[in-house]
Amino acid sequence: MRPEIFVETLEKVDTADVERPLSWIERAWNVNGVRKATILIGLMVLWQAYTVIGDIEPLMFPSFGAAAQALYQSLFHSDLLEKIWFSLSVLLIGYAIGLGLAAALVMWATSSRIGGDFLATCTAMFNPLPAIALLPLAMLWFGLGVASIVFVTIHSVLWAVSLSTHNGFRSVSETLRMIGRNYGLRGIPYVTKVLLPAALPSILTGMKVGWAFAWRTLIGAELVFGASSGSGGLGWFIFENSQNLETAHVFAGLFTVILIGIAVENLVFRNIELKTVYRWGMQR
Amino acid sequence: MAERAPAIHVRPEFEAHEIRAGSVSDVTRELSLLERVIDLDPIRKLTILVAMIAAWELYTRFGGVSEYILPRFSSTGEALARAVWSDGLLTMVWNSMTVLIGGYVIGLAIATVLTTLAVATRFGSDLLGTLTAMLNPLPAIALLPMAMLWFGLGADAIMFTLLHSVVWPVALNTHTGFMGVSDTQRMVGRNYGLRGITYVVKILIPAAFPSILTGMKIGWAYAWRTLIAAELVFGGSVVDTEGTQSGGLGWFIFANQMDLQIPYVFAGLFTVILVGVVVENLVFRNIEQRTVARWGMQS
Repeated sequence: MRPEIFVETLEKVDTADVERPLSWIERAWNVNGVRKATILIGLMVLWQAYTVIGDIEPLMFPSFGAAAQALYQSLFHSDLLEKIWFSLSVLLIGYAIGLGLAAALVMWATSSRIGGDFLATCTAMFNPLPAIALLPLAMLWFGLGVASIVFVTIHSVLWAVSLSTHNGFRSVSETLRMIGRNYGLRGIPYVTKVLLPAALPSILTGMKVGWAFAWRTLIGAELVFGASSGSGGLGWFIFENSQNLETAHVFAGLFTVILIGIAVENLVFRNIELKTVYRWGMQR
Repeated sequence: MAERAPAIHVRPEFEAHEIRAGSVSDVTRELSLLERVIDLDPIRKLTILVAMIAAWELYTRFGGVSEYILPRFSSTGEALARAVWSDGLLTMVWNSMTVLIGGYVIGLAIATVLTTLAVATRFGSDLLGTLTAMLNPLPAIALLPMAMLWFGLGADAIMFTLLHSVVWPVALNTHTGFMGVSDTQRMVGRNYGLRGITYVVKILIPAAFPSILTGMKIGWAYAWRTLIAAELVFGGSVVDTEGTQSGGLGWFIFANQMDLQIPYVFAGLFTVILVGVVVENLVFRNIEQRTVARWGMQS
């Protein structure tokens, strides 16, 4: 038994304000965007101060101002926009073909057991294989052109998307399937009306992973072989400028890569998510 | 205002006059040996694998395909065996893996420090949020040119890009996992008087382990891809290639492609696949089974 305890005298507790209006600064600081913007500005100031006060060689690490200027200059007075468009069009072509192939594969996999086994074997084998490792072969097969970059992009999208779509389809609950059957849905309408909406969260995850892999593969592929594919893309812009020791322009290229990445992840995918899985209450 | 009665829709009566005799097949019967064998998962997958290999071999043998475009499976296997025995392929795998594991472990440590800061203070959380939002979409390989400028043409440059590819996904997922730990569990921890490190280790980490593991898997996938790309692209200049026994797996693929030793390129790709399969299916699967699956957090 626990011995009995008596607390005879309670110390006087020093309570802070129980209620008081927040000051203007506190209220501003409570806004998420304000805090993050402050941090961003703080980082930029730190960068600028470090390079100016530390007298860093601009060839090694340019100041933020120089990088921003290089970005402005190459965006509006050079052909950076064309290069962005070139990269994005290659990426979109590869992504779209990859999605189409993945859809076909998954259709086959859900409709027959041999298809399912085929898909499982292929994804187990090819998903861990970095697409960029296929680039040397692709160059041999398709020549030094856009075709080989599209090929590796397809490879990087296809397996990630079909793996998670197939997993999503398989984990659709039996109740939902039976409701679909009960309505007499079969074949394509069964897939589009029951399976697709029910598995959309994992399909979207797969598409996001596929996008991330494709984006990384594309930049990697362009870093090397962009020059040979005609006008060259964003990766080539970075590589070319690093070879010419135009370090400020390299940073401008990196900024662009970050901006595109943020735009796609936060605008495109975020919006799709908000309009589908969040609205349907499948994900919080 | 007269209330309007809702329209009642009455389905017309119908009778099904004739029901055809359904053809009932066997209700129960012993499965034949073949059927039982086909029901085994590994057997079916193995058959598919063998069929694919056979199709490849037949196509290259009788399709009149040049050895420089698509080598036969048999010559690829031969090349793989020869590369393992005499060309030091295992050493190259080992070189790649040491760099990879080094970068991965340091990356995990940095991610841990960042996340701990982020859990402890609101400023840390905002800082981590801003940094991951900015740097997670940046492919690590794009930093390689800068890394080569800063750290020279050595393993250091590859290490830096690897760190970059591991830190952000791991930190992002771990932080999201920590934020998603339910208040009940947090309060249980507080109730036991846990605080600081013990609180993180005993409550937050186990509760957030599924998403930590996801982060680690994504980090591994990015790091593996980054490493191969880095070695492939700058292998000759980055990894010191004195002697024949150095360089990594990516370099092996690239060098053989340059020499048009296509069977060796395929051998290198096989090795990449094997390493990837081993890490994803043995290492991570085992960790999952011993932790989240056993704790019933994931089916």
